[in-house]
Amino acid sequence: MTTPLRADGTPHPANREALSQALVDHGDRLYSLALRITRDRDLAADAVQEAFATALQRAEGFRGESSIGTWLHRIVYTKSIDLLRARGREAPLVDEDKAAPGSEEDRVGGAPTWSRPPDEILLGAETREALERALTRITPMQRLVFELREVEGRDTDEVAGILDLPPGTVRVHLHRGRMRLRGLLADHFRGAVA
Amino acid sequence: MTCDELYRRLTDHEEGVLDGNVCQEVERHLAECQSCHEIRHDLQDLSRLCREQASVELPVGVRRRIEGLLDSTA
Repeated sequence: MTTPLRADGTPHPANREALSQALVDHGDRLYSLALRITRDRDLAADAVQEAFATALQRAEGFRGESSIGTWLHRIVYTKSIDLLRARGREAPLVDEDKAAPGSEEDRVGGAPTWSRPPDEILLGAETREALERALTRITPMQRLVFELREVEGRDTDEVAGILDLPPGTVRVHLHRGRMRLRGLLADHFRGAVA
Repeated sequence: MTCDELYRRLTDHEEGVLDGNVCQEVERHLAECQSCHEIRHDLQDLSRLCREQASVELPVGVRRRIEGLLDSTA
């Protein structure tokens, strides 16, 4: 394949060399994204590989409106969901959190604080397991947003770009996910210091 | 600002998207309300715990297959 060039002779932003560099720069994070959606290492690997194949096919259509990294993340996101569906697994990542602002979801409620001495909150095996359990009890979209934002440290605009959601919507999912997790983990941490 | 109002704004506050006046109200409330201060502390601990989780790496075999795919089209 010849390297696609723009009409003005400059290298196309998504040519083979650019994709090779993107694999170096973003490979781990692309795989991490796929893994967080599919929860399956084999499916995640397939999603990333298929995403690069698709990116190669669509290279000439890439206009450079977003970074190549964001573009690849979007493709991995779509591929991951497509693979889940193809295998008959539910991909409930629709924007399903319909709680209205001001509803019970957005009130302080009765969740106790974690009340512990300084440095008591450590990421040991039990806490890791408690966090994993809690993550299964929030909505899939809250979980994905929370993990992309808090675990992977992506900024809100990047998460919005990957999920094709307005940044404000990302913040709502993030906020509700964080608050629910705080409540779900309260017993764990209070028990740890009881 | 009530506790419920603060509760709804905590994430926006940390994201830096609140207007200046609202931001000041949040700060004032947090300084005066121990309960809300502890909620923010919990959320900060939650963020810290998450950041301590091990990062994920693309398996070497997958990386090589993709490199092969890109090389084969050169």
